[in-house]
Amino acid sequence: MKNLVKEFTKGIIKENPTFILVLGLCPTLAVSVSVANGIGMGIAATFVLLGSSAIVALVRDFIPDKIRIPCYIVIIATFVTIAELCMKAYSPVLDRALGIYVPLIVVNCIVLGRAEAFACKNSMARSFFDGLGMGLGFTLALILISGIREFLGSGQILGHALIKGFEPIFVFGMPSGALLVIGLLLGFFNLLKNRKA
Amino acid sequence: MNIQEFLTIFISAVFIYNVILSRFLGLCSFIAISKETKPALAMSFAVMFVIVSSSMITWFVYRFMLLPFNLTYLRTISFILVIATFVQFVEMVVRKVSPQLYRAFGIYLPLITVNCAVLGVAVLNIDMFFLNGKQVAGSFYYSVFQGLCVGLGYTLAMLLMSGIRERLQLCNVPKSLKDFPLAFIIGSILSLSFMGFSGFSR
Amino acid sequence: MKNNLIVSGSPHIRKEGSVPRIMWTVAASLIPAEIAGVVIFGLDALWVTLAAIIAAVLSEWAFGIFTKRKITVLDGSAVITGILLAFNLPSGVPLWLPVVGAVFSIFIGKQVFGGLGQNIFNPALVGRVFLMASWPKYMTTFPRPFSYDAVTSATPLAILKEGKILEHISYLDLFLGKRGGCIGEVCILALLIGAAVLLIRGYITWHIPVTYIFTTAVFTYIFGAGQFFHGDWLFHILSGGLILGAFFMATDYVATPLTAKGQIIFGVGCGLLTAVIRLWGGYPEGASYAILMMNAATPFIDRYTKNRIYGSK
Repeated sequence: MKNLVKEFTKGIIKENPTFILVLGLCPTLAVSVSVANGIGMGIAATFVLLGSSAIVALVRDFIPDKIRIPCYIVIIATFVTIAELCMKAYSPVLDRALGIYVPLIVVNCIVLGRAEAFACKNSMARSFFDGLGMGLGFTLALILISGIREFLGSGQILGHALIKGFEPIFVFGMPSGALLVIGLLLGFFNLLKNRKA
Repeated sequence: MNIQEFLTIFISAVFIYNVILSRFLGLCSFIAISKETKPALAMSFAVMFVIVSSSMITWFVYRFMLLPFNLTYLRTISFILVIATFVQFVEMVVRKVSPQLYRAFGIYLPLITVNCAVLGVAVLNIDMFFLNGKQVAGSFYYSVFQGLCVGLGYTLAMLLMSGIRERLQLCNVPKSLKDFPLAFIIGSILSLSFMGFSGFSR
Repeated sequence: MKNNLIVSGSPHIRKEGSVPRIMWTVAASLIPAEIAGVVIFGLDALWVTLAAIIAAVLSEWAFGIFTKRKITVLDGSAVITGILLAFNLPSGVPLWLPVVGAVFSIFIGKQVFGGLGQNIFNPALVGRVFLMASWPKYMTTFPRPFSYDAVTSATPLAILKEGKILEHISYLDLFLGKRGGCIGEVCILALLIGAAVLLIRGYITWHIPVTYIFTTAVFTYIFGAGQFFHGDWLFHILSGGLILGAFFMATDYVATPLTAKGQIIFGVGCGLLTAVIRLWGGYPEGASYAILMMNAATPFIDRYTKNRIYGSK
C-alpha cells in the first residue's frame, strides 16, 4: 500500500510532468489563459491518463513489442474520444474554450510518455496511481500557470476581481506572456533545485 | 476559391498565428531540437513533409469516410491512426530507398507522430474548411495550402530559434536559466516581435 | 592557466575607445533629442526619462548583486537602455510604466542572455513591445505637442492608418517635431545632430541607417498610395520612429551583424518589414517590431556573411 501512495505522490512534485519532466507543454500554454480552462483541461487529461494507463497495464502482456506505440495510441485515442464526447454533451462552453486542444490530448507527451515509460512495465494498480498522480501534478501545474496568467492578464481569478484598481497587464493573456511565465517558472524551479543540491 | 484567401492563410499561418509561437503546437520538438541548426532544419523538413501529406490524407478520410457515414466523432482516432501509419510507412520507405537520408532524417520521424502540430493542423483544417458538415468551396486546396504554410511557419520559428541558441552557447547565461527556461523566454520575445504582423488587412 | 585565455563570442569591439567611453558618448548624443522632447512635450518628458534611467540602472545593479556577478552599472549601457526606452514612450504615461518597462528591458532583454555583449535583441525595444502588448491604451495616448496639458492628439501615422486625411502638417513640421508622438522620436533635427556626432566619431557606421531608411523610402514610394510610384516617401521617412530606430536602435553593436554586407542585409530587412507593417499591418508604426525580427535573424545573417578565412574555399 505504501508503494502505491509513493507512485501517487511522485507525480505531484518530484516528477511533476510539467516542471520537472517538461512534458505536455503544448496544451499547458494554450489553455492556461484562465483558471477555469486550466482545471477543465486538467480533469480531462487526468481522466485520459487514468483510463489509458490502467488499460495499457492490463493488456501489456498481450501487445507485441513492434507495434506497441500504435496500440497505445489507439487505446489513448479511445479515451480521448470518450472525454471529447462527454465534454461536448455536458459542458459545451468548456469544449469551445479548449478547442482543438481536447483531441490533442492524444498526442500529449505526458499520456503517451507514461504509457511507454511506466504502464507497460507495471501492474494495473500501480499504473492507475501513477496516472492519478501525474494527472494531479499536471492539473496543479495548470492551475499555477493559469492563476498567474489570469490574475496578471485580467485582474481576476475564476472571474472574480481580486484587487480593486489593478491595471491588467494584457500581455499575459497572450502567447508571448504564456511563454514568459513558463520560462520564468522553469527557471525558478531550477533555481530551487540547484540550491538544494 | 480566391487569391485573397490563400494570402490570408499564408500570412496567418506563417506569421500572425505561427504554429509554434502562437498556437503552441509542436512546442516539445521546438524546445528540444532547436539547439542546433542542422537537426532543426532536418526536423523542419520532415515535419513539413508529414504535415502536408497527412493534411491531404486526413481530408480525404474525413470527406469520404467519416462524413457520409456520420462517423465524425471518430475523427480523433482515425486521424491519429492515419498519421501514425503514414509515418511508419515513410520511415520504412526511406530506410529502404536511401540509408543516408534515413540516417539524416530517420530518427526524427517517429517523433513527428506525436508532434502536436501534425494532428493539430489536420483538426484545424476540418474546423476551418468544413461548415455544418459540408465542405467549403476549395476546401481541399485550402487545407493542403494551410498545411504547407504551417510547415513554413514551423521552419521559420525553428531556424530563428536555432540560430539564436547556437549563438548563445558562447554566452554566460545565468545557470538556472540555461537551456529550457531561456528557450521559452526567447520564444516569448519572438512571439512579441511577431505581433507586429497582427491586424493585417489586405 | 584558466585565466590566461579568454574565450568570448563576437562582437569584439575594436575601437580605441573603451566600452564605457562609447556608451557615455552615445548617451550624450541623445541629449539634443531629450531637450527637444522636453521643449515639445513639457517636463513630463523629463520625468519619464529619468524614471526609466533610474529604474534601468537599479535593475542592472540589483541583478548583479543577486547573481553575484560584476556590477556593470558604470559602463553606461543601462543608462542608454533607459533613455532609449523613454524615447519610445508617449510623455503622458504614468511613471510606473517606464519603470516596469525598464526593469523588463534590463532583466529579460539583456541580463538573461548574460549581460552586455551577449544580448540578441535590443533591450530597449524588448521593453517597448512588452509595454505595448501589456498596456496598449497608455502606449497609444499621445499628448498634443506644445500644449503642456492633458489634451491628446493622434500621431500622423495613426491618422494615416485610419484612412483620414492629414491636414496642417508640413514636412518642416515633421522635421522639427511639431507633431504628436513618442518623446524621442518627433524631433528629427535633434536626432540627426546626435547621429552626426556618432557617425563622425565612428561609433556607428552608415550602412544600417542608410539602407534602412532608403529601403523604407523606396517601398513606400512604390506601394504607399492608391497608384504605384505615388507614395509620399518623404512623409514616411520623417514620421514615426524611423529615424530614431534607424540611427540609434538598429545600430546596436551587439544585436546586429558584424560585416558590412550583413549590415546592409539587416538594413534592407528592417526597411522592408517596417514599410510592410506601416502600409498593411494593424499597427501604425512597425519600426520596433521590424528591428526585433531582424535582431532574431542576425545570427543567421552573420553565419552567411562572415569573411572567409584566408586559405579556405
